Amino acid sequence: MDFKIKRKSTKTVVTGSLVENYPHDLQMYKIPPTENISLHEFEALALERLTLLRCLATATTLKGLRPYSEEWTEFVLGDLKTQGLKYYARLCEKSGCGTHDADLQARRKDHIAHFILRLAYCRTEELRRWYIARELELFKMRFMTMKSDAVDAFFKLNNLCYTNISDDEKNELMKYLRESTFYQSTQNIETFKFYKVKFFEVLDLVKARKVYLKGGYAYVPHKDFISVLSAQYRTHLRHSLAIACQHLGEIEQDERLVSLLKGLHQAYSGNDYISDTKVVIPIESIDSLSVKSFPLCMRQLHEQLRSAHHLKHGGRLQYGLFLKGIGVTLEDSLRFWREEFTKIMELDKFEKQYAYNIRYNYGKEGSKKNYAPFNCLKIINNNVGPGDCHGCPFRHSEFNILKNKLKGYGLEGQAVNDIVDMTKKGHCQIACSKYFDAVHNTGLDLGINHPNQFFEESQKLLKGEIKAEPKKESKPNNNIKKEQDNFEDMDLDEIAEWKET
Amino acid sequence: MAEQHDENLLPEMLPLYYTRHFPQNIFCRWLACGSNPKPLSNRELSFTLADDVYLRYLSINDQKEFQTLLQKKCPQKLDIGAVYNIKPSIGRHDAVVLARELVFDIDLTDYDEVRTCCQQAKVCDKCWKFMVVACEIIHTALQDDFGFQNILWVFSGRRGVHCWVSDYEARTLDSPGRAAVADYLCLITGGENLNKKVHLTNDLHSSIRRSLTIIDKYFEEILQDQEFISSTEGLKSFLKMIPDEALKTLVEGNLERMHKSSLERWDGFVNTYSQYCKENINAIRKMKYLIEEIKIQYCYPRLDVNVTKGFNHLLKSPFSIHPKTGKVSVVFKPEQAKSLKLEEIPTIYSLLDDGAPDNVQHQSNMRVAVKNFQELVFSLEKAEAIRRKNDANASILEF
Repeated sequence: MDFKIKRKSTKTVVTGSLVENYPHDLQMYKIPPTENISLHEFEALALERLTLLRCLATATTLKGLRPYSEEWTEFVLGDLKTQGLKYYARLCEKSGCGTHDADLQARRKDHIAHFILRLAYCRTEELRRWYIARELELFKMRFMTMKSDAVDAFFKLNNLCYTNISDDEKNELMKYLRESTFYQSTQNIETFKFYKVKFFEVLDLVKARKVYLKGGYAYVPHKDFISVLSAQYRTHLRHSLAIACQHLGEIEQDERLVSLLKGLHQAYSGNDYISDTKVVIPIESIDSLSVKSFPLCMRQLHEQLRSAHHLKHGGRLQYGLFLKGIGVTLEDSLRFWREEFTKIMELDKFEKQYAYNIRYNYGKEGSKKNYAPFNCLKIINNNVGPGDCHGCPFRHSEFNILKNKLKGYGLEGQAVNDIVDMTKKGHCQIACSKYFDAVHNTGLDLGINHPNQFFEESQKLLKGEIKAEPKKESKPNNNIKKEQDNFEDMDLDEIAEWKET
Repeated sequence: MAEQHDENLLPEMLPLYYTRHFPQNIFCRWLACGSNPKPLSNRELSFTLADDVYLRYLSINDQKEFQTLLQKKCPQKLDIGAVYNIKPSIGRHDAVVLARELVFDIDLTDYDEVRTCCQQAKVCDKCWKFMVVACEIIHTALQDDFGFQNILWVFSGRRGVHCWVSDYEARTLDSPGRAAVADYLCLITGGENLNKKVHLTNDLHSSIRRSLTIIDKYFEEILQDQEFISSTEGLKSFLKMIPDEALKTLVEGNLERMHKSSLERWDGFVNTYSQYCKENINAIRKMKYLIEEIKIQYCYPRLDVNVTKGFNHLLKSPFSIHPKTGKVSVVFKPEQAKSLKLEEIPTIYSLLDDGAPDNVQHQSNMRVAVKNFQELVFSLEKAEAIRRKNDANASILEF
């Protein structure tokens, strides 16, 4: 947020040979392309980059692989090659400063496609966030695979310089640097070069307490630069998208582009569970449904609600939106929550402090947005604090508590062990999938990425719409292949929270 | 101890309170300064009137308008929101947030699982000590680590504290920035399904070491007040924090035999643990910082991170009156937190009733609180003036 009124700077438009324009595999897209291209190429480039971004999303959100890990990288590169996007694979595999024609062509396409997608993704906040998240993943991946001489070239080309701290300062602070910086014990921290940057340039490091802070500055070792750069890159993208959005009006004058740009992400968004469900779930059956068809996270919340007659904000949100997604009407919802809450409070208090938010979630109050139920990624990454029981049980519970709970539900010993095993390894969604199979006595091995998906699959199974197939066979349901867009539809910022005093 | 008061008297008393005691002038200057470079009128305020009528998207141009609005509406609750790109009354849902103070909310109900003296809405001078520790830890971190200068601490009216950081960099910090600060400060994670909520690894970060030094200043006192591990239940919860079964059994055996005093039991635990670690080199790998983790789980500040992360949460204003307790949300200096006594906090009843026994003391404390507020606002205004001058110079140089 910058209030300074800057003079409009006119960057000199670079025209010239490809070698001059594209000296490096990795760039920060500061200068837009100016050549003419055919409509056909425009469309092709857009779709190819979309495939690339999609592939990244699949790796992170669907497959649940840890970003930038070996398996993640392998998956992404493999997928790119399968999809025929060799030039992107080339750019991602080992960024450098080669001058082969193939390199130059790849960089040119990368450059143009990035700017085209800016137009397609600047329209709404959700689209912007998705796009920025993917472009950031791409940038980091390419930075990490850069050869070391290329790193220096990259810094030079982008005028990146940081305050190198003096040896004196470093010695003075060495005790603190040593205990606060994250590094391998095999490395010798005394030899690291440290740079002083403002703390908000390296939020990733600050968040995880991996860096020493003093007076608003973070002391970042050279190896952690990626953090600084991605913060800057993210800011740059946000700013650029805001500008692109302002120019959308002009661009949309061109009919040839409008439908392409509008349709691009659409063609691709998975199910977000906010369209009118054909099925209406009667609230009376909620108890039995919670046992038969709810994912563990929701079953847990339901049980807590029934026993304590209350849920804290996080729980109400997560569970409330889920219920909406499975087809509980607003009237039934209000009745359900009211029934439980008034067991420990006056009707009056419920109406004033809680009913509003329920209606808000259904889009009947405030900005009247129809909020989407949270997907697994969002739930797994949620904050869970004292007194809460929302979040993902495979992430936010202790193994013993989880084990006992599952045994208490009557699940088979081996199944329980498998689930807890997966949980210990950090594979929450796979654990959930195993929970699904255990509860339904199947071996479907579904890729779970949304609680409402879990519910739907369960209902389909129970109604005999899909056959329970043994593990070895291929997955029967195509929904799983579609990536669940990580739409952060609901910002906690947006809700006027009733602060319970 | 405060007498039971009558909430029904509030509608009559509030207008008097707002006119005679609420520091309107300083309040408007604080908000105006924090709204810079936008005008005061771009700042959202919200009122809750009698019968829970809630008014959002209010704004004022100056103190005079504020005074009129207060008299006219007589709000029971007064909340402060963010600075928008246009007047909130015009923009409403579509207005874009530009800035807002970086805020923290610490509530004693989040300590219910550790405090034994009180639960839920109840609060006493014993559990207030948790707030003293919290203030010191957070205040030091905000100053030393993040370089913030303008930090306002406010009693929240019943059982907690709020913190408002008005530095320019804090006000303009975006959502990921606020999330990062919140996460940096947050050491206790996990809900009802997690017994052990603190996990420290590798080397202790300097800020964690510093926080432990602060906790150590108060730990024995709090331990004696709260007697965490004296009761059977308390001991059980304590044992659940020990990840090693063998050690857990050993500690259980030793402590159960001992006298109920938590202080003695704690020393017993420390000895058992040290001895165990000497005899089992492997154990230390898993539990290198067990003692520290436990101290933190008992005493470290429990922030409501969602309040910090969202920058258009509406938060209660300093000097509001809490409708249930009648207490004034006074501004206090963090170094004086330990001398704050709950029944010495001014209430609307004692302030307006010359005959009340604590009238004199409360009036005096109110003056101190207003003075604290004033000092902070003055220094904020000075800092803002310097910043604007530097910016102006810098842009001249840019030519």
